[in-house]
Amino acid sequence: MSRFSEAAAFVRRDFLAEKSYRLSFALGALATFANLAVFYFIGKLFGGRMAPHLAPYGADYFAYVFTALAFFGYIGTGAGSYAEKLRQEQAQGTLEAVLSTPVRLPAFLAGLTAWNFIFATFELAVYALAGALVFRPQLAAANWPAAALVFVLSAACFASLGVISSCFVVLFKRGNPMAWVLNNFEGLLGGVYFPVTVLPGWLLWVSKLLPVTYAVRAFQMAVHGGAGIAAIKYDLLALAAFDLLLVPGSVWLFSLSVARARRNGALGGY
Amino acid sequence: MRLAASGLVKVFPPPFLSGGEPALALAGAGLAISGGVVGIGGANGSGKTTLFKVLAGALIPDGGSVTADGDAAAPERLRELTALCPSTPRAFYYRLTAAENLRFFAALAGIPPAEAAARAAALADKLKLPEADLRRRFDALSEGNMQKVSLIRAFSRRPQLLLLDEPFNGLDGLACRGLLELMETAGRTSAVLLTSHNRELLTAAAPRALRMEKGRVLQGEAA
Repeated sequence: MSRFSEAAAFVRRDFLAEKSYRLSFALGALATFANLAVFYFIGKLFGGRMAPHLAPYGADYFAYVFTALAFFGYIGTGAGSYAEKLRQEQAQGTLEAVLSTPVRLPAFLAGLTAWNFIFATFELAVYALAGALVFRPQLAAANWPAAALVFVLSAACFASLGVISSCFVVLFKRGNPMAWVLNNFEGLLGGVYFPVTVLPGWLLWVSKLLPVTYAVRAFQMAVHGGAGIAAIKYDLLALAAFDLLLVPGSVWLFSLSVARARRNGALGGY
Repeated sequence: MRLAASGLVKVFPPPFLSGGEPALALAGAGLAISGGVVGIGGANGSGKTTLFKVLAGALIPDGGSVTADGDAAAPERLRELTALCPSTPRAFYYRLTAAENLRFFAALAGIPPAEAAARAAALADKLKLPEADLRRRFDALSEGNMQKVSLIRAFSRRPQLLLLDEPFNGLDGLACRGLLELMETAGRTSAVLLTSHNRELLTAAAPRALRMEKGRVLQGEAA
């Protein structure tokens, strides 16, 4: 059996588990819609008052936040779901059972959150549907190939951050400083809800250390400003550099964490 | 396959900043097994479960070595060669049926779905687990039937070394008889190592029995 078959087994398992919570599935889609409505009315309330900060993107506030939420909702899946799924495996006592099989760690990592990415794609479709039928943000200028490149580079980067975050769960169970940073600061400093140019100078500097800043800015420029690859090349290079460092680094750190848990007997604990 | 372990040492550190003492679980344990069914007896805390986890590649020892046919066997290799049925049968996905759980774990061991289903059905029949219970959600099973599913997961791997930690827990008489037959059959082609606090069942299952005490396997002593 290939690694694909192993990953497919994880997807099937998670689909069956998710399907057994039918109401949660429907409420998830409804929550996405309600979330969008909040920002739609905020956009209506403040109208063009944030226009100078939004000028580089050529978008109004709602169009900006609509795109950022859809984008960050997807790439944030990578950042958050590894630790969450691993903690779930620990709590139900299946982590040790799974890692006592011959499954390889890269296949385990690919399978662990594969369903979450599929569900995030479904949420993306909800965004698209809500956008097309109800909120109608202006996306006519979008350069989709450039946006797709930003998307792929960002997804890899955030999935790697998620894998690093899950190392804390393997070793310490609860108390995950990486998740804390990702949850509390990525949205604030990364330009998801507003352009980072709104931030004071010192916070702007901090935001430059975060991959989300480059990801959101490049995506917004491609989607609203119609920017091509050449126009956003510095952001793309920054994301590629993060990927080069984080993708192999995260798998290496995860294998070290699991080896340590196998050594101190923590794999079966919760 | 001949599997040999020698001088295995395992010390569990205390939880981080707990101020507790490290726990010595294995203190130079060793054994050799090349086929058949071998029983291991011993008091609670004597190191049986830790030894099984090391042999299953789930736990890395602090000292000693494990070899398979004379070659050093790293944990990755041990996870391919062995299957462990743990002493508690709850390491399953409760929202999935027993059959779905078995299919999932079989896939991780490289067993195709159809083959996994066929093996599960045959083993369920032996252990007197009704087919309807295979289709039942795991959290709706009785403790004894959970144990049967756990045994099916281990047996269906058809590993070179089968590690059964307290396999008779929760089983009724008929299922115990079925399990004894399964062990005897498996012991003809591979090695089966089991623990039990039930001396009668241990004797019935294993012609050869060892005893563990304070993290060591007492060679030549019966359980």
